[in-house]
Amino acid sequence: MHHDARSAPGPTLGGEPGASAVPGPGAAAPGPAGPAGRPGAGAPAVRGHRSPWWLAALWRLLGAVVAIWLVATLGFVVLQALPGDPAEAAVGGPGSQASAAALQAAREQFGLDQPLPQQYLNYLGQLLRGDLGVSYGQKLPVVDVIAPLLWPTLLLAFCSLAVAWVLALGTALVATGRSRFAAALASGLELVASVLPGFWLAAVLVMVFSTQLGWFPAVSDNSARGLVLPALALAVPLAGYLAQTMREGMLSALDAPFAAAARTRGETPWGLRWRHALRHGLVPGINLSGWAFGYLISGAVVVETVFARPGLGRALLSAVTARDVPLVLGVTLVSALGYVLVTLLADALVALVDRRAAA
Amino acid sequence: MSRLTRSALAAAAIAAAGALALTSCSSGTQAGPASSGTVKTKTTLTYASGDAEPECLDPHVGGNYPQALVATQYLENLVSRDKDGKIIPWLASKWEVAEDGKTVTFTLKDGVKFTDGTALNWEAVKANVDHLQDPDTASSTGYLAFAKITSVTKGASELEAVVHLSAPDSALLESFAQTWNAIESPTALKRSQEENCAAPVGTGPFKVASWAKQDRVELVRNDAYTTAPADAATQSGQAALSAITWRFIPDSATRYAALQSGEVDVIDNPLPENIQAAGAEGSAIKDLNAPRPGASNRIELNSGQAPFNDHKVREAFIRSVDVNAGVESLFKGTAPRSGSALSSAEPLAVQSADAYPYDLEAAKKLLDEAGWTVGADGIREKDGKKLTVRFPVSTNQSAPAEQSLFTQLQAGAKAAGFDVQISLLDLSSWYGALGKNEYELVSAPYTKVGPDVLRILYHSSGIKPAPSGYFANHAQISDPELDKILDQASATVNDEAKRGELYKQAQEIIAKKQVILPIFDQQNHYLYRAGIEGLRALPTVNTPTFLDVKPIPAV
Amino acid sequence: MSAALSETRPRAVVHRLARLRPGTWLLAACGLVILLCAAVPGLIAPGDPLAIAPRESFLSPRWGHPFGTDESGRDLFTRVVHGTRSSVLIGVLSTLLGVGLGAVLGLVTGLGRRWLDAAGSRLIDAMLAFPTLLLALLLIAVRGPGVATVIVAVGLSSAPGYARLLRSEVRRVSRSGHVEAARMLGKGPVAIVWRHILPGALGPLLAVATLGVGQAIVWASALGYLGLGAPPPAPEWGAMLNAGRTYISNGWWMTVFPGLAIVGVGVVATLAGRRLSARWAGRGGAR
Repeated sequence: MHHDARSAPGPTLGGEPGASAVPGPGAAAPGPAGPAGRPGAGAPAVRGHRSPWWLAALWRLLGAVVAIWLVATLGFVVLQALPGDPAEAAVGGPGSQASAAALQAAREQFGLDQPLPQQYLNYLGQLLRGDLGVSYGQKLPVVDVIAPLLWPTLLLAFCSLAVAWVLALGTALVATGRSRFAAALASGLELVASVLPGFWLAAVLVMVFSTQLGWFPAVSDNSARGLVLPALALAVPLAGYLAQTMREGMLSALDAPFAAAARTRGETPWGLRWRHALRHGLVPGINLSGWAFGYLISGAVVVETVFARPGLGRALLSAVTARDVPLVLGVTLVSALGYVLVTLLADALVALVDRRAAA
Repeated sequence: MSRLTRSALAAAAIAAAGALALTSCSSGTQAGPASSGTVKTKTTLTYASGDAEPECLDPHVGGNYPQALVATQYLENLVSRDKDGKIIPWLASKWEVAEDGKTVTFTLKDGVKFTDGTALNWEAVKANVDHLQDPDTASSTGYLAFAKITSVTKGASELEAVVHLSAPDSALLESFAQTWNAIESPTALKRSQEENCAAPVGTGPFKVASWAKQDRVELVRNDAYTTAPADAATQSGQAALSAITWRFIPDSATRYAALQSGEVDVIDNPLPENIQAAGAEGSAIKDLNAPRPGASNRIELNSGQAPFNDHKVREAFIRSVDVNAGVESLFKGTAPRSGSALSSAEPLAVQSADAYPYDLEAAKKLLDEAGWTVGADGIREKDGKKLTVRFPVSTNQSAPAEQSLFTQLQAGAKAAGFDVQISLLDLSSWYGALGKNEYELVSAPYTKVGPDVLRILYHSSGIKPAPSGYFANHAQISDPELDKILDQASATVNDEAKRGELYKQAQEIIAKKQVILPIFDQQNHYLYRAGIEGLRALPTVNTPTFLDVKPIPAV
Repeated sequence: MSAALSETRPRAVVHRLARLRPGTWLLAACGLVILLCAAVPGLIAPGDPLAIAPRESFLSPRWGHPFGTDESGRDLFTRVVHGTRSSVLIGVLSTLLGVGLGAVLGLVTGLGRRWLDAAGSRLIDAMLAFPTLLLALLLIAVRGPGVATVIVAVGLSSAPGYARLLRSEVRRVSRSGHVEAARMLGKGPVAIVWRHILPGALGPLLAVATLGVGQAIVWASALGYLGLGAPPPAPEWGAMLNAGRTYISNGWWMTVFPGLAIVGVGVVATLAGRRLSARWAGRGGAR
């Protein structure tokens, strides 16, 4: 039996399977942001000796807060390097004819005339109060700008994640099957899927299912029909990675002694995969989901543009173009927060699955 | 075999589960378009704009074309312009320019109310001029157009507004016709800018009901509408349409797909091939061609620095590129070649196509004469410097087909020995490059009503940058004679013939200077579903008006 | 006799090669073609990828133009072939950059003291949480668009993933028996890291990095879609795909062939990466 696509550092390299910070095959690969495990996995204090779960949880939470602070700082520093006067964004955007006085007034209004360290402290102070500042372009609190966009993007992201999971599960189940033809087909599909450029897929989907067949609208809304194409455009490449990772976990589980034991007990190949191996495929898959969420937010920039969906991705793109610094920082923080929350959730899930697997 | 079947079954089950996952994600309300046998009509229309979504719906603030597009539906001007370029009544029924040109008296229509109930009177005009001139409004387009206005006072009655000027301004009426200088409710203007941006109040056939950012602006009919411009078909009463949904769909392929499927009824910024298809007989989609007024779409050569400070090098560049072949291949006859700095929407445009011929051999000869010799890589050199010209292109302002055209011109110019370096930039970076003088070539649109755009673009005072670094005279022409003619044209009121003659001379000088390469009009097409009747572009800034549109066929 | 002898060695090589699975052969052949296209594109497509012919625009695939022509009448086959170099370069260089940065971060966190590890790990978390595309957009706004910017953007955003991987590998290897043994023998820390930890930990990293090459190419093409990739007229796949997307309704070939090229190179790079990883994991990639 050739598992020719069975690559992998896989769990074998990671030490404790499942809980390891080592990604499954191709895991570091997905997107430049490569998932490679989950953040905070392996906070040193927790790792060596098993401390009580609440201490570990507390430590993870603290780590998450620190990471968010670092993102805010990173964003603040990087945005300083942007060419162009941010005050211009506040007085009519690039190419405005604002007078020197108007520019100066805008600088004062947004505190841009203060020394950088002072600006940074002000900014952190604002954040602590849950205030993301005021958008230069729209003159509205960033929170008010982001709030209505949050739900469409989250809906898209979660739908894509759900679809990706379903597709990946299916492919992984088929790919680990005994039918060599089906397995080869499935692993071929997942491979191609994982390198499909999302924006290209989106255009092809519109062309085929909207223009030619007329099954789904080209302009997406939050209805079921409107969500199909954008969710697919995001989910298919993601499903490729997920499937690769899950299959790897399942394959090594099928090689494990307990699988042989189950076989001797008369377990069918299908039952073996469904009842035993799947759980081992789930763990790396869940681990990957935190990263996947980050990917979905970045991917949303392109997909939201193609399908004309309102959302954070488009807001980010236009805010960068207009040098609307508070809005850029706001979207960055919100998406980082989402990422951190989802990884925390994934960690909790993994712990749950692990405990059950161990039991 | 059974395993294969089982795998197939599993796959089917998975697919079904996937569909289920999607369905369960939906918020559930999809009002599917009802289809029935008879030809039904509806009074709601969906417009899809490909232009950037405005940050503010009040075109006084900033002042760009996307704002004008939507604002045309709910704001109106004192005067309008007909197809021949003649100024016609709108909110003002008549007007009079004083002999010395320094006062203009508008007589407003009687009994007009803004949609918030405020009456239209001379004070409303004053409030709008003040609002545009207030630095806090951050107006750039409307502000420039009103630069010569010193004050607005009451005339003989409440309905007479007297506009006082620091100097005669032959473009003043055209300025008052621009959507960026529209008249809003003075009561509404007193609100905070935030509120006014969200829902400006005017006298137009529609009013702003709501605005979901990045998605849509909902417009509903103004039932008390009475103020149609003199050239509208509907001269009394309200519009036939009850509501317009104004959507923002940035991707051109998606926008067109939505029009084809009937999800939307009218789109702007279509691709050339879609325009071409709409021109075909029996097409289910029709084309409304409405080139933007003001300047034509042209490439400007920065004559303020080497190498284009040398007339011969400028001329060589213009000779070296085959614009016609490129336009023909990319625009398929949908965009006639221009030979003027002015849009063909301007009656005073003078087409001098022979000033910009394609002649590669002549180009090479000119460069030889100018002392640029061919280097080893085919790029010319002089005093150890390569003939490199930087061409920053704004991805916001130049459509994909235009970007392709620039790439073709780049290849053409290379044959003569030019190394054209195109860089695609976002809007801020693009303005940044211009402000720092890091360009030799640039294509910058400028939309304005009337030929006075020539003064903004080519008067030497336009070289001096605003505090933001912006300046309009990208060609950096500084010619005392041209300045004199443009100033004179601007001051020539009550004598259209003389004004036309002066602008003709100005265009001739610009052509002779070889500082611009006109390409075509600023492309502005609207595609709409066949069966929609009464759609037209307002001949001021050629934005679409839906006042005359009859109930449209339901999909 | 001598003739027979001289024959045996090549024959042995041939024999060994023949034992390779056909999949491996195919993969090697594809890899070779891609490398050839990148190294000497003129050999495969002798035309000029920049030569325009406005009157031959939008030609569908045909004899003389196997992939058709684009909106400026340029031969798409020539452009796809000549575009290989920049795409492969983006893929390889950005991965190298990512691995290099990731290695430094990973080593510092993996080998450093507890506080250094904690700080470094949070930094890696923050980098992972920072939206990838935003990083690219900001870099392009600061440095201007171009191949170099794309490489830096893609490299930077892949670094935290590699760093996390290397960190855990380093920790795994340093707990292993032979490192403990080396420590007992009194070897210096530098020697231990250099001779024992690095070789063990870098292996998996490099294997995973080959998988990253394909992803980097795909990601770079997304920047091309946003108009932020290589400046025109360079034949860059992402930019070509983007142009093709604009004309999708009247020239399917303009988007299909560059798309296939990206997917093809991505698949080949990923498969090659898998073989390498499998070999490293001791499972015998060429079974």
